[in-house]
Amino acid sequence: MTHLHINVNILNAGVFGGSWRFPGTDGTASYAIEHYVSIAKKAEAAKLDAVFLADGPSLDPQIRHRTANNLEPTTVLARIAAHTERIGLIGTLSSSYNDPAELARRLGDLDHVSGGRFGWNVVTTAGAVAARNFGRAGEPGHALRYRRAAEFTERVVAAWAGRTALVSPQGRPVVVQAGGSGDGRRLAARVGEVIFSADQDLDHARAFRAGIRDGAAAFGRRPEDVVVLPGLSTVVGGTEAEARARRELLDEILPGEYARNRLAAQLGISLDGLSDDEPIPAELLVDPDEAGGSQTFYRVVKTITDRERPTLGRLLKKLSGGGGHRIVVGTPEQIADDIERWFRAGAADGFNVMPDVLPSGFDDFADHVVPELRRRGLFRTDYEGTTLRGHLGLGLPAAGPYERRPLEAAL
Amino acid sequence: MSTVIQLALAVGEPAAGPAEGPAPVSLADAVAVAAAAEEAAVAAIRLLDGVAAGHVLDPTVVGAYLAGRHDRVGYVAEVPTTHNAPYNAARRVLSLDRATGGRAGVALRAGDGDEVSQATAPDPGAADPVRRWAEYAQVLTRLWESFPRAALIGDQEAGVVVDDALIRAIDHEGAFYRVAGPLDGPSSAQGRPVVVADLADFGGPLGVTAVARSADVVVVDRERAAGADAALTEALRRAGRSRKEVALLGRVEVAPDDVASSPAAAALRDGLRAWAGEHRLDGFELAPTGGADAVIAALRALPPRLTDAAGPPSPAARPLTLRAALGLPELSAVAA
Repeated sequence: MTHLHINVNILNAGVFGGSWRFPGTDGTASYAIEHYVSIAKKAEAAKLDAVFLADGPSLDPQIRHRTANNLEPTTVLARIAAHTERIGLIGTLSSSYNDPAELARRLGDLDHVSGGRFGWNVVTTAGAVAARNFGRAGEPGHALRYRRAAEFTERVVAAWAGRTALVSPQGRPVVVQAGGSGDGRRLAARVGEVIFSADQDLDHARAFRAGIRDGAAAFGRRPEDVVVLPGLSTVVGGTEAEARARRELLDEILPGEYARNRLAAQLGISLDGLSDDEPIPAELLVDPDEAGGSQTFYRVVKTITDRERPTLGRLLKKLSGGGGHRIVVGTPEQIADDIERWFRAGAADGFNVMPDVLPSGFDDFADHVVPELRRRGLFRTDYEGTTLRGHLGLGLPAAGPYERRPLEAAL
Repeated sequence: MSTVIQLALAVGEPAAGPAEGPAPVSLADAVAVAAAAEEAAVAAIRLLDGVAAGHVLDPTVVGAYLAGRHDRVGYVAEVPTTHNAPYNAARRVLSLDRATGGRAGVALRAGDGDEVSQATAPDPGAADPVRRWAEYAQVLTRLWESFPRAALIGDQEAGVVVDDALIRAIDHEGAFYRVAGPLDGPSSAQGRPVVVADLADFGGPLGVTAVARSADVVVVDRERAAGADAALTEALRRAGRSRKEVALLGRVEVAPDDVASSPAAAALRDGLRAWAGEHRLDGFELAPTGGADAVIAALRALPPRLTDAAGPPSPAARPLTLRAALGLPELSAVAA
């Protein structure tokens, strides 16, 4: 059988709101380049497919309480490229707030410089905070952002396909896409080669993956040319009790004010006056397709609230200041069991792993979970190729004809 | 002050046919050039964006890569205003500066706008590249100081990452751009990245006035060197700055024959010293023509003896930041 694919998401200090406060952690390490380089080297030693950098062109308004993105991804990945040889390099760059001519050139150049290891995670960038850094008063509408993203991405891919100089050993960068909304899924089916999804439930994830593959086929693509990698937050312990204790400690050190503010901001609603002991009133959460902001996150929260009717306090603990991705807590064997179950069920081609605390949580994953997956024959023992496309088993599909259409400004 | 040297380098792929000016060297050769530049103790490598003689890799990407291989030389990335929204350019250059421990800068090239900013330009009719440059450079410098390093405290006990009272939006609104800020990352070890202005972009006496507010380095070619010091001194005075705050560099193309023999190199050194003395230049931007071998030959023949008869200083004695290597004073805050 084919192997699964694993990326590590270097989400600054870790996926939880309190990661940066974890005992024994340098709280501001994620503000220095060495943090990213050393984790990438560790990921390469573990033969992972790629490192992944999330990003948004703005300062997180919650910066007082948690660390956030603070280094621009193409410069970080170029630096990592200088210190590594094989590991793939995936960076998030906005289709709303970049000029397509400049971005196509820079990303194509990064692919050349890294020897064919780059992947572009296309995001449309939610939120008014980023919009204000580019002359906008507020966030552009969801549908418009995705219309622009579709045209923008096709234009960038066409520019890469048309390069005659400074070409890359993998032909052109891999296109990664993460949107869980209806618009996002259409974009994924049309141009996505790696899909970074968010799913709490195996059956739902399997249906999502099947939908993406069918959608790709409907656009004339081969289903196997799309690799679906759900986000997976990991809390690894030597014993189950150790892992649970680690998880509880992460809850305890979550800055309280932060969790509430973040949830309110991500849902685009006010939680003022709501106590931790009451459930979120159902009427506050509209249908996800009508929500602004990040629909993926909204959908995850709505699924949890519809199913479990948790109190606000319980919901905040469950999310723990993370991105709404599924959290697995356990021994290396238990985590490998979970990964294997999802993989064999056709719910995932692998995972975008989001360690609880960086670097310690990733060290535990690389040193203990990866060898366990290897023992089960699920993960590579060495790289076979040198490019990101090679690691992911993606060929170089024809870029197809591109007819340049007008690009709508994200307004 | 010793003579400041900046090397101009294009990294990429040479064109098939013959062409004028410096030809791009490959990425692998650029690593060797960076090693030679480090050894020669030049202040910085200016990574050119676009030359007639070939295809050039994005200078911010190349700078970040080379800094990972050789980190004791400065890197100045050329970034045009064209196609780059200022918030994005500010982030990339500051990221490079922080990753190099304060050894980076930007050679901001005057040009047009970008597709993102153009859609909401406060004055849609504004188009003058010189005025655009001045506004753009000011947005950059203000963004670079919007999140002071001192704000990053990381108090794990109290649960406070940053003292957000020290972080300020810039709320810039000019003719070309509207940018709220602040930037997402803290300021660098040298306060903020160095801004290089190339007077070739500005044509005429207006140029010096336009760059006086924000430039840390001004590059002039042979044709524009005469009178540049006096004009710059006056423009800086009007902007409330002193001539000591800016390094004036004369650009000199170096052909392989110029350094092919010891007598040739000695004659070139003498000529350069005389040129610097005559026009009160603080140093040179060396632009060797020919391939990587020619660049490395120029580095070996010129910089150590230009700066100091005893050869380059030992690594331990070298300045820690690009600003210091350029002989520039430490920064006071940018005027609002």
